[in-house]
Amino acid sequence: MNNRFRFDCIGYGLFLGLILLVVPWALDFDGFELNTFARYLTLGMVAMALALSWGGAGILNLGQAATFGLGAYIMAMHLKLKASAHMPDGMPDFMGWTNVESLPWFWEPFHSLPVTILAGFLVPVLLAAVIGIFMFRGRITGVFVAIITLAFLVAIQLVFIEEQRYTGGFNGITGLAPLELFGWSVDNYSLSFYYFVSGCLIAALVLALGLVRSKVGLVLRAIKEDPARVRFFGYDVARYETLAFCASAAIAGWAGMLYVLVLQFASPTYMGVPFSLAIVIWCAVGGRESLVAAALGGIIVNMLEGRLSDLFVDGWTLFLGALFILVVLVMPRGLYGLFQNLLERVTEFYRQARAERRETLASAQSIVSEPTDKGGR
Amino acid sequence: MAQLELRGLAVQFGGVRAVDGLDLTLQDGELRCLIGPNGAGKSTTLDLICGKTAPTGGEILFDGRNITGLPEFRRARAGIGRKFQTPSVFRELTVIENLEIARSARPGVFSSLTVFRSRYPGRMQEVVELVELAEELHTRAGNLSHGQMQWLEIAMLLMQDARLILMDEPTAGMTIQETRKTGEIFASLRGSHTMIVVEHDMNFVRQIAGTVTVMDQGALLAEGSIQEVERDPAVRAAYLGDGGNGHA
Repeated sequence: MNNRFRFDCIGYGLFLGLILLVVPWALDFDGFELNTFARYLTLGMVAMALALSWGGAGILNLGQAATFGLGAYIMAMHLKLKASAHMPDGMPDFMGWTNVESLPWFWEPFHSLPVTILAGFLVPVLLAAVIGIFMFRGRITGVFVAIITLAFLVAIQLVFIEEQRYTGGFNGITGLAPLELFGWSVDNYSLSFYYFVSGCLIAALVLALGLVRSKVGLVLRAIKEDPARVRFFGYDVARYETLAFCASAAIAGWAGMLYVLVLQFASPTYMGVPFSLAIVIWCAVGGRESLVAAALGGIIVNMLEGRLSDLFVDGWTLFLGALFILVVLVMPRGLYGLFQNLLERVTEFYRQARAERRETLASAQSIVSEPTDKGGR
Repeated sequence: MAQLELRGLAVQFGGVRAVDGLDLTLQDGELRCLIGPNGAGKSTTLDLICGKTAPTGGEILFDGRNITGLPEFRRARAGIGRKFQTPSVFRELTVIENLEIARSARPGVFSSLTVFRSRYPGRMQEVVELVELAEELHTRAGNLSHGQMQWLEIAMLLMQDARLILMDEPTAGMTIQETRKTGEIFASLRGSHTMIVVEHDMNFVRQIAGTVTVMDQGALLAEGSIQEVERDPAVRAAYLGDGGNGHA
């Protein structure tokens, strides 16, 4: 346990060094490349959010993209309003095309940045809380959780596509103004922006680790194994599960907000089934038991995707599918499990080698001591 | 005052009346053995008390409060602990993590958020030494032997410190020495904890003594000291009718 904790701490350190120092240096501090990598970081953040509920509590949320998408749209609404300040009534352009008379009431609050940021966390959390309370009070587990969350995802995406007047429909929300944060106008192709995104990822990671390393995380791991037994110790299992589900939604919403800052548009594909399933794959590749590993899984798979989609325009999805099958078959615990096994084997090897050395030393001593015994006689 | 009172408790699975109008009263601090032939409804009775199964009739009073409709975690908070027949520990967690789960005086989400480290000294150390698991603190529970798992679950119940402990065949799979030691632990708990022990091993029942309740076909058949019960002709008939007198 202590050994494992040390192993994890080394992992955290390496991860920090990698995204804060190695990556910017390796990318030559190039704005465009850093923006691409910031995108991978936000996707790694969603993978981490999924690991929190899937790996941490056994809740396989196939609708993680819904909370991510909500965060993204909320940020996009704020930036769109900023960009539309010169328009009649301050209305976004796509509303004019669809004959909306005045700015809908639910767009109004997003003029304010604090409200926007708060909503970016709270709306996904509220959605997760409603779904979660209904699911977990009903003691729904396993594959049924996956089906319900997937159904919600499809329904939510449908609403965003259908309500074109208010959401931009298939086109999503484009033509956004840059964000202004405490007087800092965010340039998404700058080094400072890259550090802003990686800082958010690290902050989210620290908060999530606090949850996982507290007794809540322990109870959640017990729930993953045997929820009925946990109840007989007096824990309200549904509350713990809802908390994990909501925390995961909050981080996903956060990542969604960042994603819009990186890409400068919001699209209903952020809430699509393919995207949501891809999150599951990233998480599985990295290893769902560890938050950092899941984040790395998201980063690595997306880097591969970036390279491969240059080479094979459509073929990379095939590759992604093959990768998932391979991971499920060969390393069900992902890269994290692979490294852990490797490390255990190495330490076991050293322990054995040390034990052997001690044995030969002991036998050598007994050989030496034997003649003196005889001499004494 | 009676701590636990079952009044006309009944449950029906399909057409089978597993428990059929059972009345039972337990005093505070009492150790009660529940015996009876296979299918008498002993384990089902424990399931009904701890909330694993919902009754189809009758009521359960704990400290004079009707708990018949409460979900299992509320009953656990009220002070009812349960040990299952097959050891149900968390196999993926280490021994100390299992015990930390069992230490559930403050089971709320928000109080759990503030706990980061198991406080090992104190009660936990005492319990661990009692069940001889001090060497195995960081072993995954799944890697323990069957006997050690039984001990771990007993240790977990001690950590939970429930006022009413329901034990379903606690000595199954234990060696004679382990069984005797279990008996000693139970004896030490008497007075401070109320216990219901379902047991087949009559030697163990004799060792821990107390009052014995005999169940047959879901209802109370006899109640009294072990000697009284063994002499009871109805009890003998029930065991013989079941096809063997090996237990009584």
